[in-house]
Amino acid sequence: MDLNYTAEDVAFRKQVRTWLDQNMPRQIRNLEERKAWHRKLYEAGYLGMGWPREYGGQGARPMEQAIVADEMARAGAPAPTNGLGVGIVGPTIVVHGTDAQKRRYLRKILTAEEMWCQLYSEPNAGSDLAALRTVAEDKGDHFQVTGQKIWTSGGALADWGLLLARTDTAVAKHKGISCFLINMRQPGVDVRPLKQITGSSEFCEVFMTNARVEKEDQIGRLGEGWGIAQTTLGYERGGRALARITSYAGQYNQLMNAARRLKRNGRPILDDAVTRQKLGRIWADLEVERYGALRVLTMLERGEHPGAGGSLTKLSYSEFEKRFMEMAEEILGPYGQLTNGVPPEFRLEVDTAVGDHGTWAYAFLWSRAGTIYAGSSEIQKNVIGERILGLPKESRADRVGGTR
Amino acid sequence: MNFSFSEDQILLRNSVRAALDEQCKPAHVRAMMEDDGRGYSESLWGEMAKLGWLGLPFAEEQGGAGLGLVELALVLEEMGRAAYPGPYFASVVLAGLGLQAGGSAAQKERWLPAIASGQARGTAALLEDSLDWDPASTTATATRTGAGWRINGLKRFVPWAHAADVALVPARAPEGVSLFLVDPRAAGVTVTPMVGIDLANRWSELRLDGAAGELMGPAGGAGPVLEGLLRRAAVGASAEMLGAARRCLDMSVGYAKVREQFGQLIGSFQAIRHRCAEMLLEVEKAHAAVYYAAWALSAGAEDAAMAASVCKSFVSEAARQVCGDAIQVHGGIGFTWEYDLHLYFKRAKALEPLYGDAAYHRELLVRGQTA
Repeated sequence: MDLNYTAEDVAFRKQVRTWLDQNMPRQIRNLEERKAWHRKLYEAGYLGMGWPREYGGQGARPMEQAIVADEMARAGAPAPTNGLGVGIVGPTIVVHGTDAQKRRYLRKILTAEEMWCQLYSEPNAGSDLAALRTVAEDKGDHFQVTGQKIWTSGGALADWGLLLARTDTAVAKHKGISCFLINMRQPGVDVRPLKQITGSSEFCEVFMTNARVEKEDQIGRLGEGWGIAQTTLGYERGGRALARITSYAGQYNQLMNAARRLKRNGRPILDDAVTRQKLGRIWADLEVERYGALRVLTMLERGEHPGAGGSLTKLSYSEFEKRFMEMAEEILGPYGQLTNGVPPEFRLEVDTAVGDHGTWAYAFLWSRAGTIYAGSSEIQKNVIGERILGLPKESRADRVGGTR
Repeated sequence: MNFSFSEDQILLRNSVRAALDEQCKPAHVRAMMEDDGRGYSESLWGEMAKLGWLGLPFAEEQGGAGLGLVELALVLEEMGRAAYPGPYFASVVLAGLGLQAGGSAAQKERWLPAIASGQARGTAALLEDSLDWDPASTTATATRTGAGWRINGLKRFVPWAHAADVALVPARAPEGVSLFLVDPRAAGVTVTPMVGIDLANRWSELRLDGAAGELMGPAGGAGPVLEGLLRRAAVGASAEMLGAARRCLDMSVGYAKVREQFGQLIGSFQAIRHRCAEMLLEVEKAHAAVYYAAWALSAGAEDAAMAASVCKSFVSEAARQVCGDAIQVHGGIGFTWEYDLHLYFKRAKALEPLYGDAAYHRELLVRGQTA
């Protein structure tokens, strides 16, 4: 046990910090500027770092990836774009794709020449993703896709989508799903922004009507889609483990400054014992998240895969973020709800990847999403209970029979 | 960066667990709870000495193994898991680490080899009637008399004082708060049992009426030693709470796999499964908090003081939650004296307020950020 960073990692961190000092854009105004920043990061070797070298990656260690993300968070650097492409679609193609698919798609993901989304959830298939009803019908030389997807992040910008669709309705629902790559720029695909409780639209609804998928864009074998989706959900490799904590810590410091300024009974609330207890609790929770991140990174560095342990990590940080934002709202009072006309001292300087929502109000509302997306907290607890603790599964009617 | 145990550390943990599984079964804990005498087993104590546990963190020239706080935390976690009844924490952590940090060469030479070999036991009297952990709050007094000192005052919740040959006692000298070594069996010391809910973890009141004290460290200079000791004790107690919590989790999961209601195993109900998942998350976080802090204190890391307060504030409440949830998962059987769960529940509870409760350490955290 040695929780010091190695000399090599310290030197690498310094190198990244220097590069960011010299290259970071002050402001990102539109998608083209974000893509330019994305390409700059890629050219410097700081993007898709964990990908194998033969597909444009660096073959970097998990700790190096975590350090780059952490330094970007520390500097308040804008996020790159095409996050789902780099984080999920690319790795899926690396593992399950054919040589032709790898040559065709991978590099353009890294350069953001082609933007990607993920077409998984449906209105009636949320936590119960395997209940999805979008159908891909074999038309001989291609597949014809009809159905509706929802919660598609980045759908409006996407050129391509990673699609789960049903190809067999006669078998148990988990066994009739297949995985495809679908061109989003075609007449049969209609993308509509979905306005969220934040007032912004990071997510979309996607309607597919007789949309076309080429035969060579099938990933894996027919009926293997569910298994492929399970592995893609496990691709969160801890790359953002440290960065997440660093962002929270930056927000915590801004909160401390606000608590110096706000008063209760004539005294700064930072001198108030109740406020101090709240701050102390959140700080302890935040540090414990950081220790947990170091544990995960240790595993990854040793080449171990966290497996179902990823559910513990996701459950932990998403629930933490909710508690953190609730506490911030308690400290900030109505300042915490301002979406416009925020006095400078109560702004939250964060990059939101969609523009001008750097407010506590936005961060607070957004914290409600984390415990729902990518497997709700309840689903994570099922996974933890069944796969880590070995508790018995529920008896469920849908584990047998067809979906027809 | 490596947040995993070395092979030696895993071997140590396995050997401690094996020994306690064999010699500190729940039946043993219960026998000691009901014991009218000292409340711990001399033969197990001798065994611990032979295995090197009693001198684990002391230097080799003092009969110790020269290991660090991570190894000590590993042992303490196992003790919590077994609800070990006896003065291990009092002797090795409170007296041992206190002497190691503040004792003169002669004092260390006198006591550390004796503690390591199992011949002597120690403790520290860190609390008074006000329950204030701040060393500056000390009201016991020390007056110089010829060659030595006389101590007057009242100390409470002193762990295993009835079994101790030496106690570290803070008292206020004209120069300020100082540390003294006191023989709890000497004239002028009255030791009265304070019986809490954890019968396997004994406390006493220590009334000092002109008891002889031997100054440890400079007069008026106890502050830094006491602060350092408090941090180590807080992390050590957290390790023990972690062990108790993990035992409670294991018992709950085991029970949920065999207990049937409504014609099904209760572990198949989400109400139980989700609670167990939450318990595991708390235990894993407590693990990270304990071993990070133990490493930070051992390595003298910049954030060591903060890590100790993060650890105690987090684990105090996590262990309470997990051990309490375990009773809920078990239902009625978990509320019986006969079932073993309460042994671990009570161990965690007993340690929750000691060496600073969660609120105390949260205040230290914020003070550190605003000072």
